[in-house]
Amino acid sequence: MKGKKLQTLSFFLSPMIIMVGLFYLIPLIFTIYISFTKMKNWNTEKYLSEVVGFYNYQRLFHMFQHDPMIKAILLTTVIFVGITLIINVLGGLLLALGTFFVNESSASAIRLLWLLPRMSPIAVYSLVWYYFFHGSDIGTLNSILMKLGAISTPIPWGQMTPWGAWSVIIFVNGLVGVSFGMIVFTSSLNQIPKELVIAARVDGASAWQISRRILIPLTKWHFLYVLTWQFLSLLTTYPHLFLLVEWDLVNRDYGTTLALYVFNTAFGRGEQDQGLAAAAAVILSIIGILGGLVTLKVLQFERMIHEPRGDIE
Amino acid sequence: MRDVETRPRRNEWFIIVAIILVSLPLILGFLLLILSSFSEDMITNLSPNSFRPTIENWINVFQGKLAITGGIRQNILKITFNTLIVALGVSGIVTLISTLAGYSLSRMKFQGRKLMMLLLLMLHAFPGVALIVGVYLFYRLTFPQDPSMVRLYSFFYVVLARAALEIPMSVWLMKGFFDTIPWEFEWSGIIDGASRIKVWRKIMLPLIKPGILAVALFGFLAGWQDLIYVRTFLIDKTLATFIEANIEAEYSHMPLIAAAGTLYLLPTIIFFLTAQQLLLQGYSGGIKG
Repeated sequence: MKGKKLQTLSFFLSPMIIMVGLFYLIPLIFTIYISFTKMKNWNTEKYLSEVVGFYNYQRLFHMFQHDPMIKAILLTTVIFVGITLIINVLGGLLLALGTFFVNESSASAIRLLWLLPRMSPIAVYSLVWYYFFHGSDIGTLNSILMKLGAISTPIPWGQMTPWGAWSVIIFVNGLVGVSFGMIVFTSSLNQIPKELVIAARVDGASAWQISRRILIPLTKWHFLYVLTWQFLSLLTTYPHLFLLVEWDLVNRDYGTTLALYVFNTAFGRGEQDQGLAAAAAVILSIIGILGGLVTLKVLQFERMIHEPRGDIE
Repeated sequence: MRDVETRPRRNEWFIIVAIILVSLPLILGFLLLILSSFSEDMITNLSPNSFRPTIENWINVFQGKLAITGGIRQNILKITFNTLIVALGVSGIVTLISTLAGYSLSRMKFQGRKLMMLLLLMLHAFPGVALIVGVYLFYRLTFPQDPSMVRLYSFFYVVLARAALEIPMSVWLMKGFFDTIPWEFEWSGIIDGASRIKVWRKIMLPLIKPGILAVALFGFLAGWQDLIYVRTFLIDKTLATFIEANIEAEYSHMPLIAAAGTLYLLPTIIFFLTAQQLLLQGYSGGIKG
């Protein structure tokens, strides 16, 4: 019986375990290894066996202290993650609360509209904002402001450092992340017993009072969940930023976060330095793993996982 | 959720109008892109004079004429087909693996089950950029010697590597769908002497169809929209890398890129029109865990 169960389990689980091994475990070991080598321009023949110890980490910390570009990137990362996080969480909460108080069909339409940034191809979504913030008179923002008479010549918004570039990347990624909070908060609002809302309504409470006194206090757990999860995802996101920087819509230094820096250092144009990129990636991963562990601990995820009660064997 | 009937109508309209106002840039941005693809000039400057309707951009895109005057040609049908292969490949692998693993995580008791699920959650949050450096080295080390196999291998590899990124979330999503099915169906099969594999195949799979569809759809979109993995591993072009590479074309060709972008957006629009409930349900199901 024991052997048969193992056989059954391996039938169900081995494809997943193989994939995780091949594309998470092995690459992770490889990345850590590369961070200790002198790997450049993917010249594996020459550099793969050249182990240099903590050289790349020392270089990285030296750059953290002295290189103005890296300083700009670190500052950008902090500002970008911080402000976008606030927009994502509050925006998601507001949208969820807003759709709670309107009829079902309007609510679905609104939710779908806000899923659009996440669901549309990265290249198309970035293209939309490329045109919107374009530095010439074909840019939508420029032409609106020119029509209103607020400015007389087009402004290259993304090239104005630092706040112009920051605003553009925060705006573009902010809209993508809102949908996550919206969906989580919507499902958490659905779990609140209707009697509470009905009782408050009968007593004459307004939508605002219901939100503040009943709905928001009861979604605390989800608030924490969205906050920590979105933090991790913002720290590691880079595809949209990659395009905005590559297309020169935003300034290179003030449009690049640490995650994008890792990618561009390993795969970007010009000189590639995988050793350095891998070292930065390892540091990013450590932050990510710590953040993930804290999330799991604080939110007590293991309590959510119930044993399969009806299993007979 | 449905607030009770006592809610005042007036407030409802106020909220809807407020949300639409906030959503305006989003609506405007996408609308201008789509409309520009049917115009001779970009209409993103909101000037009515720019809008001169034409379908020339679309004809040029399908003929692969990139520059209006130049002779550069790209086979956009081939590029679209490449994108489709990646999307279908990712979708197929993700669906198969998560349907298998989701079942056992939902229905079978075994040691390490809890740990496995927490680990999957951690993997989902793991920085993808840290992995891609290692994933690329793995790619280089397993590169085939035979040059005629290289293109094929790059397709194979990009599909597997991209699918792997979707697996943690999809397994959780699928487990959630299996959780909703009553045990009675399964017991009847097991008592009749069927193995768990047979129960899974004959009884559970037909019941879980909406879940399979949702995961397949998310997998498809993930593969379809991918930029980073495709540009890093795939030798052939997809719509994402096509747009990425051609954005620096001169202004006169911008409506052409807008047409390519709209073409690229098409599946998303189709899914939005046909599978709204599945999308919303899938997202909330996946996140609730």
